[in-house]
Amino acid sequence: MALGVIYTGEPEAAIKDFVKLLMKHKDIQGAVIPVKMEREGSYAFVFTKSPEVVDKSSPIAPVMPVQGARVLSKLTKRKPLTKPAVAVLKPCEVRAARELSKINQVCMESFITVSFDCPGVYPTKSFLKNADALEEEFKKGLKGLSVSGVRPLCESCTYFTGEFADFEVQFAGINEVRIIARSQRAEAILKGLGKAEEVEERDKKAIEAVLEARKKAKEALKTEFAEKVSTPEKLLSVLSSCINCHNCRSVCPICFCRECFFDSDSLKTPPHLYLERASRKGGLRFMPDTLLFHLGRMNHMSLSCVSCGTCEDACPNMVPVSRLFALVSERTRAIFDYVPGIDDRPSPFLEYREEELEEYEMPYYEARS
Amino acid sequence: MSEKGFEPKIVGFLCYWCSYTAADLAGISRLKYPPNIRIIRVMCSSRVDPVFIIKALLDGADGVLVAGCKPGDCHYQKGNYYARRKVALTKKILESLGLEPERVMLSWVPASEAPKFAEVVKEFTERIRKLGPNPMKERVFV
Ligand code: SF4
Ligand code: SF4
Ligand code: FES
Repeated sequence: MALGVIYTGEPEAAIKDFVKLLMKHKDIQGAVIPVKMEREGSYAFVFTKSPEVVDKSSPIAPVMPVQGARVLSKLTKRKPLTKPAVAVLKPCEVRAARELSKINQVCMESFITVSFDCPGVYPTKSFLKNADALEEEFKKGLKGLSVSGVRPLCESCTYFTGEFADFEVQFAGINEVRIIARSQRAEAILKGLGKAEEVEERDKKAIEAVLEARKKAKEALKTEFAEKVSTPEKLLSVLSSCINCHNCRSVCPICFCRECFFDSDSLKTPPHLYLERASRKGGLRFMPDTLLFHLGRMNHMSLSCVSCGTCEDACPNMVPVSRLFALVSERTRAIFDYVPGIDDRPSPFLEYREEELEEYEMPYYEARS
Repeated sequence: MSEKGFEPKIVGFLCYWCSYTAADLAGISRLKYPPNIRIIRVMCSSRVDPVFIIKALLDGADGVLVAGCKPGDCHYQKGNYYARRKVALTKKILESLGLEPERVMLSWVPASEAPKFAEVVKEFTERIRKLGPNPMKERVFV
């Protein structure tokens, strides 16, 4: 049993009602929620104080052109909000926001997060080509969490519930919509609204089949993709259509630096050095430093990558970057046994143990002789 | 480049307080060590952004050495612990993509141990000589 509220009806309608309920709390101001843009037909986050806008919103949008954690980061970069706002986010957006809060890029106190059973999102480009039909299909598959044609990383995502938000919305595999308080803050809010009922939590069995299918897809993706980048030749051919536009970095929630090394003067080479590099190698690809950019980014973000797939969505040239990053990230995170956005520990960059990783050190001279 | 005539090019990032001092001492003491290493002085081993290591490997180096004070002795207390995590991460990334993590080495060389510095450079140079030239440095399309 847990504190929560039960709704009947469609998940999206329940979430909207719940958000409007939360907005009535004296300590809450407004909401951040996806809304369908009338003419363009895509979706965007809107920060609003108006219940009418919430009525028109789409809490479970079929696409994710902007990663929600970036929105929270933008809103609280300079300082916290005067009072918290409700933020309706997909599970990977919650994880990214939690990860960013560890490095002071999001103020989590400024948001009451609400997240839900996530069927995944379509790649934005395929959605825009066929929006009406896909919108239909998405609605149909929502309750069963079975939508086909979603991002490759969504198909294989095993953290698809809202359990890491303040409020978790459960609807898959059950008849009603159960909204459960997952933090003390959330419980206090429900009590303040006089809505704190004891409700039964969903039996894990109800989503077991979905979890199994996702795990399988994850294994398949891993083996299939690992093969595609198993040698330098293959890796370079996977990256061959990259135009070094840095879109994948700009949309990544984890890449927060104001000044990126890859845009810095350090990589602005004078002509004679280009010539020197070219003579050494026999020729120099332009734009140069493409592999450096990707390998370098992996060093900076792979420990915190939440496998949201936003990078690949933003790539103009179909480079499978999110699959590449997810693969590498899984391996680097294993060194520290770290799961970004879920672990309560600080980021592995901010911690160390005196005795560790000896296998990466050269043995001492003394020890060798 | 034939295996025989191959002289490895090694970039060494040495921390100012320990390993660079040891290298300096090795020079003053006229200790012999392979001339293959090109030394870059950094204030602390933790200053080495993994991007530096990768840039060197993609652009001409056959091996990269990162050396700092012994654990517990970093001038900034904990810099070398962070450096160790970063180097481990870099090696894991290279390994995941079939890119020869053996070309990166992390070592601790205290300021007073010039012979150790000479030994480390010798051993690493030999190791890289056996590995052969770094294929990445001669690729056009990187
Ligand atoms: S690297 Fe790609 S998949 Fe990973 S967090 Fe950034 S945008 Fe998401
Ligand atoms: S992978 Fe795609 S988005 Fe990233 S720099 Fe290359 S072309 Fe741009
Ligand atoms: S000062 Fe030598 S490793 Fe930090």
